[in-house]
Amino acid sequence: MEGAPENDGHARPPLPGVRPVTTPLVIAISIVAVALALLGLAATLASRRIGLVHLVGAAVLEVVLLAQAAVAVLTLTRGYRPAELATFLAYLAGVLLVPIAGALLARTEPSRWAGTVIAVAGVVVAIMSWRLLQLWEAVRA
Amino acid sequence: MPENSAFGARVTDGGGADHDGSLAGGPRRVLVALYGTFALAAGARAGVQLATQFSEAPVAYLLSAFAAVVYIVATAGLLRGGRRGRLTALTAITVELIGVLAVGTFSLLDRAAFPDATVWSVYGKGYGFVPLALPVLGLLLLRQQADDVGWSTPPDHG
Repeated sequence: MEGAPENDGHARPPLPGVRPVTTPLVIAISIVAVALALLGLAATLASRRIGLVHLVGAAVLEVVLLAQAAVAVLTLTRGYRPAELATFLAYLAGVLLVPIAGALLARTEPSRWAGTVIAVAGVVVAIMSWRLLQLWEAVRA
Repeated sequence: MPENSAFGARVTDGGGADHDGSLAGGPRRVLVALYGTFALAAGARAGVQLATQFSEAPVAYLLSAFAAVVYIVATAGLLRGGRRGRLTALTAITVELIGVLAVGTFSLLDRAAFPDATVWSVYGKGYGFVPLALPVLGLLLLRQQADDVGWSTPPDHG
């Protein structure tokens, strides 16, 4: 393995069988994140505060993101290195904060704008997860 | 009031002024979420750039760091509220608007000076032009809030 010739321009090819931050996982994250954003906007449009459904949505999103982070870290420990490792790690850790920060900010907001705050968090997670995928798949040529 | 009903309690007030007569909580908190995101994003980006590739594009990376500081100050001002918070946010957001317009224009005129992107390059194109929309929204909100509570609005320079 270590002395294998490089024939595809990839210094560190992805390890077989372990593919975190994959497209299906990012799609799943995006669906939860966008659903949360729509629910948040719906609350604002309906002049309602956020309810249990939003908090559960944020919690589900956080669990999926934690799962992604766990598998990504596991693969990193096994030797996989994306080209921009520092940026990747910043995104990986940063995205975990977003649903929590969004939920905390929205929970204490007594007006209908709480839903918009949650919606911002959902959109940010969706965007960051796709950027994360880009960063993961970019391998130093 | 059913605080934790599945879809949230109905509110009658869309967000008037806070008790201390400062900015309305609701829209301001949305801005806090947006500015907080950019403070985090610009700060992390600047940190990585300055730590690993400073010599490649010092001007662009120092601008990234400057942008990050502006976002952090604006977030803090919006979060704090009150007269001082409003003034802090107003100053930071004005600097932000000038920054995104100046850097956006220069990055188009002289691409060589900006070999790597900053948050404000090409008016924030890399971030869906949100960096351009954000200070406009922020200034509109601060202006509206000032009218709401009868504060003197700063002279409008267009």
